[in-house]
Amino acid sequence: MNDKNQILSDEELTAYIDGELSDTEVSRIEALLDSNARAAARLELLSRSSLPFKQAFEPLLAEAPKARLDTLLGTPADAKPAPERFGRRGFLGSLAACLFAGIVADRAFISIRNRVDAPDESSEWRAVVAEYLALYTVDTLAGPSPSGEAQAAQLARLVDKLGISLSPEAVSLPGIEFKRAQLLQYDEKPLAQIAYLDPETGPLALCIVRSDVGKQDPDVEGRRGMNVVYWSNETHAFMLIGRIPIDRMQELAEDVRKRTA
Amino acid sequence: MPVAYTTFPAYSRAVPEPSVQPAALEGKIVAEALIASEADIKSGLADNLLRLWRYGLVLSHRRDVADDLVQQTCVRALERVEQFETGTRLDRWLFSILHSIWLNEIRSQRVRLGQGFVDADEALVVDGARDAETHLMANQVLRLVNALPDAQRAAVFLAYVEGLSYKEVASVLDIPIGTVMSRLAAARAKIAASVSGEGVT
Repeated sequence: MNDKNQILSDEELTAYIDGELSDTEVSRIEALLDSNARAAARLELLSRSSLPFKQAFEPLLAEAPKARLDTLLGTPADAKPAPERFGRRGFLGSLAACLFAGIVADRAFISIRNRVDAPDESSEWRAVVAEYLALYTVDTLAGPSPSGEAQAAQLARLVDKLGISLSPEAVSLPGIEFKRAQLLQYDEKPLAQIAYLDPETGPLALCIVRSDVGKQDPDVEGRRGMNVVYWSNETHAFMLIGRIPIDRMQELAEDVRKRTA
Repeated sequence: MPVAYTTFPAYSRAVPEPSVQPAALEGKIVAEALIASEADIKSGLADNLLRLWRYGLVLSHRRDVADDLVQQTCVRALERVEQFETGTRLDRWLFSILHSIWLNEIRSQRVRLGQGFVDADEALVVDGARDAETHLMANQVLRLVNALPDAQRAAVFLAYVEGLSYKEVASVLDIPIGTVMSRLAAARAKIAASVSGEGVT
């Protein structure tokens, strides 16, 4: 859908996102983006396609039949006879490779950089979280919600790594189901993600990282079609992200902020 | 892309170099320095086998075809050692060989023989613990890429997975840069529409 009347074509915007333009062209496009809301909205939409492609395709390398391919060049792997096509050893090997690739991909996913959003460190983690959460669907969080006890146990695991103690009550959201609390990693630092499912708008999450930015009052932003409310205290930065309308998001965030202060 | 050579061979030899070697050998030494040896190409191939296989899988959606593509790429690269320009990137050259084998030989042959292709959805998912969240994420991204038309998929893979510049993608696919841009723009529009709501299942 490349509208001829558009002030900037999808091609230009794509090349801008991909860093393929000269400085002159970049200045021209940025000037147009500043003055034209429609072009800016189109850029925002197109940039939602900046997914972690590299990481997603990484595990496929581990699925390549390495030993067999090596024999093509007359350099058998490990100087051992070429393994038969579906040998038991090959099978176990590829299984191990898959598990390993899973770990690598998991780490890589959360450490990807978003090339479009502002590059300053305090906002970048939010871009990464948004990128990650954009892939969540209702199915991602399917299944029964954990009991209060199980919630407390999941939250307790965050204490060690993140230095923050949270009770199920402190992070509960009225009318919205707690689904799980888990520890992810961003830029080599632990990141707590508490995921919820809103019956009307789908997944939302409260995410927390250590931060030395200092106390900051709640602010709002839009990322990948979701609403974000973010704030920080002396030790941690928080963000609540989901598709609930922004007014309601702010109320929910304010509630959580008071209880976790 | 045409390259302008600034030194004109006829003139560059006008100033006799102080030669410590018999003149007759000079030409041969130059030639050896410019042309990559078979051993260089072999070791370059060995380093890139897995990436070539993955590109073959992305193009064909079939593991056995990916195997064949890598094998034929090895044969072709070794046959054409003298065509590789030293100083350029070997992996890009190998990608372009594999791509042309796919496009001109295997793909057309398969279409002629009426052999179907497997469902893209099945071919490119990551095996292993399928319920693990990581794989869920990876597989969602793979599905989005797989849902693209062939030409866009190849461009997206080379640019965003392999990290090639537009110019390099154009050279591997043997198409103009403008075409690379329009394929990537169309692919981005499609993927963005899917992740923005409607398309995610």
